[in-house]
Amino acid sequence: MASLAINQSNYLSKSMTGSKKTKKLEDSILFSLAKEEAGAFEKLVNQYGNLIWSIARRYLSNQTEAEDAVQEVFIAIWKSAGRFDPNKASEITFVSMIARRRLIDHVRKIYRHKKLEPIDDCFDDDALQTKSILDQSTDVKIISEAINQFAEEDKELLSLSIYQGYSHSEISKLMNIPLGTVKTKLRRNLIKLREIFNQDQHSIVSINNA
Amino acid sequence: MRSSDKELLLDLLVMQSTQAISDEENKELQKLIKVYPEYNNYEFDEITSLAHMSYHLDDNRSHEVLPSELKSKILNSHKQIDSLSLYKIKINEFVRSLFDQPTYAWAITVLLAIGISFSMIEFKNYDSNFRYLPLERVLLQSTSNDLVKYPWYSKQSDFAMAKGDIIWSNKSQKGFIKISGMPVNDPSKNQYQIWIIDPLKYKQPVDGGVFNINATDQDIIIPINPKLPVLNAKAFAITLEQPGGVVVSSQELILTAPELRPSSTFTL
Repeated sequence: MASLAINQSNYLSKSMTGSKKTKKLEDSILFSLAKEEAGAFEKLVNQYGNLIWSIARRYLSNQTEAEDAVQEVFIAIWKSAGRFDPNKASEITFVSMIARRRLIDHVRKIYRHKKLEPIDDCFDDDALQTKSILDQSTDVKIISEAINQFAEEDKELLSLSIYQGYSHSEISKLMNIPLGTVKTKLRRNLIKLREIFNQDQHSIVSINNA
Repeated sequence: MRSSDKELLLDLLVMQSTQAISDEENKELQKLIKVYPEYNNYEFDEITSLAHMSYHLDDNRSHEVLPSELKSKILNSHKQIDSLSLYKIKINEFVRSLFDQPTYAWAITVLLAIGISFSMIEFKNYDSNFRYLPLERVLLQSTSNDLVKYPWYSKQSDFAMAKGDIIWSNKSQKGFIKISGMPVNDPSKNQYQIWIIDPLKYKQPVDGGVFNINATDQDIIIPINPKLPVLNAKAFAITLEQPGGVVVSSQELILTAPELRPSSTFTL
């Protein structure tokens, strides 16, 4: 997708709708990376390697393809590090946005839809580290709470589409609901989720600034 | 514009953030974005990323660990790119500082001309420099928008253990084979040869170069060197030939990519 590379700057600046946060750019790994500080790239891989790998395995069941895609994701993050702005999105959101976009792009390139293979439980210490990164993210907590308020069918629909990577037409068949309904529900739920997220972000900033 | 157009735009934006959309859908999306400039291509990327992480957090089974070999590969690739970039910056700074002194400008021009000649020699040999091949492969993957990628399929039982893939870009006229599990060949007796099938331009497959296998237990990366300009590569194949390769092969196919190749494209 040529347009991705061309528009990436635009994408990173425009698509982050989260309102102002009071985080320091200097504290971020991406800032160190943009400044070409020694060891910054290794820190990035240590911090987000497991997360990106987990996301990649969701999209690409083939090990080789997942490995290639993850390498591309890290190069893309490295190239984009200078555009990170903590006032627009948290570091983890920035990283996962690039990862998801690149992985969807990768799937598009190979024109092959994944079939999820059972993933063995491998919940070791390193995996716990990923869980801990996510646990600490306020943004993720807000979204988790919001999704939990949704009706069961809506939750399942979002999970199938966003997390498990099924296409709208596949979801229509899986859930036995019309394709138009799948599209409408996904659109409405994502818009609703975004509104809740933006409202909560505003209230967090208000409390921080009080 | 009707409100249904806006809904269609939003549907396409949601699709773009959640799945691989087709070229037709992308065209429609770009058309509608021009009509509604208040929306951007990545409208739902942030919220879908956050939702993804939220589901990820709840799913204990999903917490996989980045394989240590892959981690080393990523760190090594970065080191190589970083050192190459640094090298280029240093050279640029050096040349710029020299050109600040007009007295030396002519002398520098002559030296640069000589330098470029040496660079061309180095460039010619670049693809055979195996140390850079993994890096070159990743760079081609991350910078090409017309990249095709296929896994190899064995056509003979002796090569059933062979695994890997091929990537190719028509625009860059460049590609790489990644392969493991191929039997070691004796270069004095035979060599593996790569073939590129470009049926719109050539009746016969294009010679993509020869290579040797000296290890079976690790991934080997081989650059493809087409002997003719390739317009639109549709498939690839590997045969075992006499040392140096042949112009037209009469040998059986060992590996093909993709598996289901258009029958009209193979004349080997």
